[in-house]
Amino acid sequence: MHINRYERAWLTAVAVTLGVFAAAMLVGLLAFGIRLPSPVARVDPNNLANTPFAKPGLKSLGGARYELYATAKMWQFDAGREAGPLGVPPQIRIPARSEVTFYVTSLDVNHGFYIEDHSINLEVVPGQIARATVTFMQPGEYKIICNHYCGAGHQVMYGTVIVE
Amino acid sequence: MQATLEKAGNAPAIAFPKLALVKDERALVGAHMITAFSALAIGALLGPFQAFHRAPGFVEAFPDAAIPVFSYYYQALTAHGTLNALFFTFIFISGFSYFMTGRSLQRKLWSLPLAWVGFVSMLLGLLAMLYVLLTDPQRSAVLYTFYPPLIAPPLFYIGLVLLVLGCWITAANVIVTANLWRKEHKGEALPLAVFAAVANHWMFIVSSVGVAVEVVALLLPASLGLITRTDPQLSRVLFWFFGHPLVYYWLVPAYISIYTLLPNQTGVKLFSDPLARVAFLMLMIFALPTGVHHLFADPGVSEVNKAIHTFFTLLVAIPSFMTAFNIGATLEAAGRARGGRGLFGWMATLQWNDPVVAAQLIGLILFMMGGFSGLIQASAQLNITVHNTSWVPGHFHQTVGGIVALTYIGIAYWLVPMIRGRALFSKKMALAQVYTWGLGMMLFGHTMAESGLNGVPRRSLTGISPFLNEAAKFWLNGAAVAGVILLISVILLLINLGATLIGAPRPVTDAPTIDTRAPERVPAILNRWGVWVGILVALTLIAWLPVIAEALSVTEGFQILRWLPSGVPVP
Ligand code: HEM
Ligand SMILES: [Cu+2]
Ligand SMILES: [Cu+2]
Repeated sequence: MHINRYERAWLTAVAVTLGVFAAAMLVGLLAFGIRLPSPVARVDPNNLANTPFAKPGLKSLGGARYELYATAKMWQFDAGREAGPLGVPPQIRIPARSEVTFYVTSLDVNHGFYIEDHSINLEVVPGQIARATVTFMQPGEYKIICNHYCGAGHQVMYGTVIVE
Repeated sequence: MQATLEKAGNAPAIAFPKLALVKDERALVGAHMITAFSALAIGALLGPFQAFHRAPGFVEAFPDAAIPVFSYYYQALTAHGTLNALFFTFIFISGFSYFMTGRSLQRKLWSLPLAWVGFVSMLLGLLAMLYVLLTDPQRSAVLYTFYPPLIAPPLFYIGLVLLVLGCWITAANVIVTANLWRKEHKGEALPLAVFAAVANHWMFIVSSVGVAVEVVALLLPASLGLITRTDPQLSRVLFWFFGHPLVYYWLVPAYISIYTLLPNQTGVKLFSDPLARVAFLMLMIFALPTGVHHLFADPGVSEVNKAIHTFFTLLVAIPSFMTAFNIGATLEAAGRARGGRGLFGWMATLQWNDPVVAAQLIGLILFMMGGFSGLIQASAQLNITVHNTSWVPGHFHQTVGGIVALTYIGIAYWLVPMIRGRALFSKKMALAQVYTWGLGMMLFGHTMAESGLNGVPRRSLTGISPFLNEAAKFWLNGAAVAGVILLISVILLLINLGATLIGAPRPVTDAPTIDTRAPERVPAILNRWGVWVGILVALTLIAWLPVIAEALSVTEGFQILRWLPSGVPVP
């Protein structure tokens, strides 16, 4: 098949560009450790009693490392009582420069778990545990936003991370 | 008017008149077009109101305003998504496929009665969907992706099943007709338009298996109360098995117009016909192994599978770049032939004052913007910053709402007059419509992207959200301004098509020339459909079986049937 000279050049440029994209993603993964969510475990949303989700909340792992178990349901997040009473958008207090691993699951339908200005954006699917690790450097208030449609109250489902 | 020619044995060949439709064709294509644009009328009129209600500025100024007829935001959003993205596009694609197949092959369809069965099925599907949305707004507000555990009333799924059934019938009809033609024309390659249509319909058949299994095995039974549990992750996997090919299913008919009609409309030949075929085949075979790029944020899909699909996603970008070159070179020749000079001067001399040509050119500009944001979304890690934010609707209004919808509208501007036998009611109004649409979608795409970067979620009545920052509010108000421009555009479109159908005074004078044969040399391998469909199926299995297995498995091991008994209850 005849391929025009310029088109050949163009396709080469395209291949190189896409190669650069692929390389950038590899570098992101290997050098900067930017990871995507991957399977953690399954849970039965009706029966969380024997899982860490029975008592959501922030736990220190020592040093500047924490883990946070949270649940989502129509239309609120539950991050434990230290984050405020149930039914009120939770306020999670975290010291600056700490690294937090979030574990989130849903009690009813799909939800989202997104934190402003930080690389965490999870699909919270019932039956699955969503996990991501973020480091909070700058003190400030960052909204946790449910960004997956979850029914009539979706637009008011949020929380706050207060980095202090 | 209809002359049946006896040629190539007793093949049922037809000589189509250039400016008119033959009787069977008028009824069939006309029924599809009118139904498709009726769906778009409702769907697209809702869009601007969604943009208004998402804007805090609008809600503050008009706290009591409601969306007309569809007063519940998520009901309207479900209608907007299903009517625009599924019913309008699918019904249009069927009608346009029938038209282009008949005309390009100068031949009757394999089965006209079957084509009507397909049409009636899609029409009933549309009516079922409208009925359920209007009578049961709360429960049917599951959006056009209908993820469980949200479960809609049975009629919602039945409407979708009827729609897809219609598409399968169209696919079979187009593919069989093309095969019959090839038997009658030994050694000849299909005209490009039909070649692309065949590739597209094969892709649809294979990909829609995923969503068909999801709807028939998981959702409809749950909706009917036959099963009480479901698996949301498996559902998402099956949906996106279909979801990415879906975007090419929308795109290819627009490409058919741009590759095969636009050259004639601008007075030149396509730069390279064989490379166009390569592009269509690549879109077909790489459409399926890419779908996991919609599941980057999902907990039930491993990084390995995400990486594999990212690789194919980069590959499937190649045919779009090939299109950019092929169409760019074609348009450059056209512009130069019309006296354009210099590096960019040829662009200025194209027919920007012809609504049909302008619709496609502006569609291409929108597609460049949408393609750019698409590449960002497809880059696994950048996806984290934009996933499920308004960025995403910003992207797809420049793609499906941009090049796709605008090219379909451009097609309607010559096809609806042919159906009616009367010239378009107003060319000026059509031009104004095309430019307002282009401007509106550029602004909408940009404001939505910016609001997404400021954390605004998609699919949300954000006008009353308590968590927005100031920048987010600003950009959402900007999107509402784009909504005003687009509302004007939709109204201009509907008046023009409506008035043309009622009967404009002048007879039709314009219709595109449709190529009835391929240029001489098409490499033989490109005509081996068995090979290409085989590759499509093989790549699909390789890329998706591990993802499906993963969704079915639990961490302790592979227990394929666990999902049902331990699944998630349907609320
Ligand atoms: C005519 C002007 C249009 C306007 C102003 C408009 C506006 C909107 C808005 C504001 C949303 C986002 C709502 C949200 O995320 O909460 C939306 C969603 C959407 N629009 Fe449009 N739209 C228009 C036309 C179209 C067209 C022509 C198509 C396709 C052919 C389309 C397809 C969609 C789809 C698929 C969604 C996603 C629905 C969902 O997330 O469930 N729109 N539109
Ligand atoms: Cu939500
Ligand atoms: Cu996709």
